[in-house]
Amino acid sequence: MRRATTFLSTLLLAVMLFAVPGALSPAQAQNPIQADGQNPMGARPTADSVNEEFLFKQESKIRGRVSIPDGKSANLIQPQGREYQNFRERWLPWIGALVILGMLAALGVFFLFRGRIMMEHSQESGKKILRFNAFERFTHWMTAVCFIILSLSGLNYIFGKRLLMPLIGPEAFGALAQWAKYSHVYLAWPFMLGVAFMFVLWIRDNIPSKVDWAWIKAGGGFIGKGHPHAGRFNAGQKGVFWMVAGFGAAMAATGLMMLFPFALTDINGMQVMQVIHSVIGIVFIAGILAHIYIGTLGMEGAYDAMGSGKVDLAWARAHHDLWVEQEQARTGSGPQLKGHPAPAE
Amino acid sequence: MKAFLAAVIAAVALGVLAMFALTSSQKFAYQAFATSGARVSEPGTNLVGPRWNGDPRPDEFNGEPHGKAEGAASQPKRS
Amino acid sequence: MARMKFLCDADRCIECNACVTACKNEHEVPWGINRRRVVTLNDGKPGERSVSMACMHCTDAPCAAVCPVNCFYTTADAVVLHSKDICIGCGYCFYACPFGAPQYPRVGNFGSRGKMDKCTYCSGGPEPDFSTAEYEKYGSNRLAEGKLPLCAEMCSTKALLAGDGEMIAEIYKQRVIKRGYGSGAWGWKTAYRETVAI
Repeated sequence: MRRATTFLSTLLLAVMLFAVPGALSPAQAQNPIQADGQNPMGARPTADSVNEEFLFKQESKIRGRVSIPDGKSANLIQPQGREYQNFRERWLPWIGALVILGMLAALGVFFLFRGRIMMEHSQESGKKILRFNAFERFTHWMTAVCFIILSLSGLNYIFGKRLLMPLIGPEAFGALAQWAKYSHVYLAWPFMLGVAFMFVLWIRDNIPSKVDWAWIKAGGGFIGKGHPHAGRFNAGQKGVFWMVAGFGAAMAATGLMMLFPFALTDINGMQVMQVIHSVIGIVFIAGILAHIYIGTLGMEGAYDAMGSGKVDLAWARAHHDLWVEQEQARTGSGPQLKGHPAPAE
Repeated sequence: MKAFLAAVIAAVALGVLAMFALTSSQKFAYQAFATSGARVSEPGTNLVGPRWNGDPRPDEFNGEPHGKAEGAASQPKRS
Repeated sequence: MARMKFLCDADRCIECNACVTACKNEHEVPWGINRRRVVTLNDGKPGERSVSMACMHCTDAPCAAVCPVNCFYTTADAVVLHSKDICIGCGYCFYACPFGAPQYPRVGNFGSRGKMDKCTYCSGGPEPDFSTAEYEKYGSNRLAEGKLPLCAEMCSTKALLAGDGEMIAEIYKQRVIKRGYGSGAWGWKTAYRETVAI
């Protein structure tokens, strides 16, 4: 009796095993191997396996399980690397060359067309007014020195093997690139600190206002004659400030992701970070080239602001008339060299 | 000029500082991606050490631990 | 010249990880670095398959293209190798690699991350064949001895095939015809832009 019950229950189970998957999945019900009794589930574990095409339909990359503790190695195939290769090798060099050489060409044309913007002398010429104090200049130059090295070592990642490697040979270039990489990852830190300092130092003078709109409409003194009104920073300088702040933050965020790879993102995230970092970097370099041009060659008297910190009063009144008035109102009258030269309020 | 020089010095100093700070937090692959299973040598070295000469004579080891085995640099292991 | 390729017959791979172990032993690969690994897909489900994967030595290799210092080169056998003397450990090759082959001795990407390490198809590096320098940097050079990669040579089920692309494709084709099924040449489309036509 007991035996018969066991037999019956086994039979029932066997019938259920046959019937239930067949009823639930019509695809498996059509499977001819199901009938041979070898595999009551109806699946063919030998022939019905996962395949590449099927897995790529589910996800853009194929992932599995590995027994080693490196989670990245569980990705079997990630074809996005081909797209990253396509961008980095076929698009990025052209983008970089066009943007940077285009900016240099534009500045060259501007220089030929407009020439150096000369200082306009007045009875106030020769008197000096403190424009940037020592700490402001220190912060500026710390950031600037880091930026120049970061941009050169960054461009080396794109153009080094194309321009420099044929000239100096692979061994010398390898050593140079290694040092460029060290400087890139370590000087990024004073750069980030410098950008943060500059942001705190100058943000209150860089809030956009109505004066800026008038300045832009008047051509900013680049086009035509005369100087539109401007506070401590005109609209162009405010643009540079916000570019440095925004791009600096973006470069820092993407750069930190690359310094600590796979801390927050997976491989596709790392590819995207690298693309963003390189594209913004190139635009940043082009923007700073214009900043360097107008601060040195492009305008007489402008460099003193960051050189000695003291600018000619006539220059200051022409370019930053509202700021000069504020400064003079705050510190009594006339040019001042002593006292606290903090940003005007 | 003084501000500029101070800036250069500060940038280099901060860079060096960042180097030490980051290097001390650098993780090795053998720390990050190794299991805690069987250990037969010092982590970070190869099983037989970098200067193993491929000649498994007992006098080569001179009582040194496996991972630190020193031997005359010669032909690598052939199989 | 032969065009060297790897082909893993996933219908034969039993995930014994002997290829991984053989590779680590043959080349004295450091701890934490696996030049070859076995990935199990659909683990524990019907149709589960394991694929042994290493550097596939791609045609138009993405790693070689994105390398900022051009440390990669392709041998006459179409094996993608690199020079650890020139490598700066930037990590770009890992971002570009469709198979996750490049690995680095240190995890963070700052300063001395170490030189990238990957499968050499058992054929060493740019140093002279069989030199100590070559062995210490890249492992043994079996190809120069006329032998195929050890992982494939010792595969117990002959799932992992190494050798000239056309020959291993032919072997795989015959297997598929004989047994009536095959899950395909994993990664071939991505690596070589062609697959084994059956």
